[in-house]
Amino acid sequence: MIRPDPDDPDHPATPGVRPFLQSGSPAVRPAPRPAGPPPDEPASGLRPFVLTSGRVAGPDPNIGLETQVTAAPGAAPTRLPPEKRAIVTLCSEPLSVAEISARLRLHLGVTRILVGDLRAAGHLDVHVLDSDFPDPDTIRRVIRGLRALS
Amino acid sequence: MDFEPFPDRIVGTARVPQERRPGAPPVPVKIIVAGGFGVGKTTTVGAISEISPLTTEAEMTMESVGVDDPGPASAKTTTTIAMDFGCVTIDQTLKLYLFGTPGQARFAFMWDDLIRGALGALVVVDTNRIDDCYPAVDYFERAGLPFVVGINTFHGQLSYRLDEVRWALAVRDAVPVISFDARFRGSVRDALLVVLDQALDRAIKLKST
Ligand SMILES: Nc1nc2c(ncn2[C@@H]2O[C@H](COP(=O)(O)OP(=O)(O)OP(=O)(O)O)[C@@H](O)[C@H]2O)c(=O)[nH]1
Ligand SMILES: [Mg+2]
Repeated sequence: MIRPDPDDPDHPATPGVRPFLQSGSPAVRPAPRPAGPPPDEPASGLRPFVLTSGRVAGPDPNIGLETQVTAAPGAAPTRLPPEKRAIVTLCSEPLSVAEISARLRLHLGVTRILVGDLRAAGHLDVHVLDSDFPDPDTIRRVIRGLRALS
Repeated sequence: MDFEPFPDRIVGTARVPQERRPGAPPVPVKIIVAGGFGVGKTTTVGAISEISPLTTEAEMTMESVGVDDPGPASAKTTTTIAMDFGCVTIDQTLKLYLFGTPGQARFAFMWDDLIRGALGALVVVDTNRIDDCYPAVDYFERAGLPFVVGINTFHGQLSYRLDEVRWALAVRDAVPVISFDARFRGSVRDALLVVLDQALDRAIKLKST
């Protein structure tokens, strides 16, 4: 049996093997997707975005699922709408964006936008990493830490 | 909608433990756990996470890819999916997150927000429905994200040999194809260590260029 070689440009794999092999060109590094629903999205798809004042501009791509968020020292979350106040209150300890979203049962896209707003207003510190690519030493530490798990 | 945070989290006065400096959160790293429906993604995340898996709703762009008409006219849709996740604290300065993402045969998914900054991915496979993992394999391959194919053994045994699965998936030789049991912490840990090995290789290569 001849194994199809996905890297062979002259003899690409046949659709019967893995159909998706043939779609598109390789992307070395994906560009951030413009988030938010497209303009032709049906009205029901827009409902979560009512919380973000109907804004459909995407969230800051630097705010990832795992990005850590903390309440800004000294910021008093008074006179904030309830969902924003809840976010600031939760972040008295460092919390990931995904965890904020899950605990408050807020759509992830909405959470990212609200977190970006709260940062802009000085209520939150959003700890964006310098680089998208973790360095070898960090990965080695993760490996050592996992190995130590029983 | 209910915005009440969990009661134990409402902290009027700061109760920051001595050893944790306020404003110094851990560096987060993440691994994606992907695969078709019902292959054991949530089980995988739950087996190793120190919290029981949490769920969030997120947008994912899907593109239907017909086997019969692979033309460029295939429709892109944005779908809300439930994604679950867990975490493992490595130490006070480093925290590993695991994100379980569904995929579906015949839908290529694009989720660049999700994989941005990810160390790598574990693609969970049920050998009874191998083609369910095609979209995930295809996506990670195109995105250049290190990934490992992990066959969930379900009943403790493989119905296909690893090289047969490798052949069916047509992945490069450099992509590890392993078997593991999603129910057991040690087994999931070992599978993640294979992903981390791949991630380390890439990180070293990136650094030397
Ligand atoms: N016997 C056995 N059952 C398993 C194993 N892994 C998962 N299961 C069961 O298979 C079912 C599906 O597992 P999940 O972890 O929910 O799969 P999933 O990929 O998260 O499923 P979706 O989120 O619905 O796509 C559950 O009932 C699990 O208990 C395994 O290794 N052995
Ligand atoms: Mg699941």
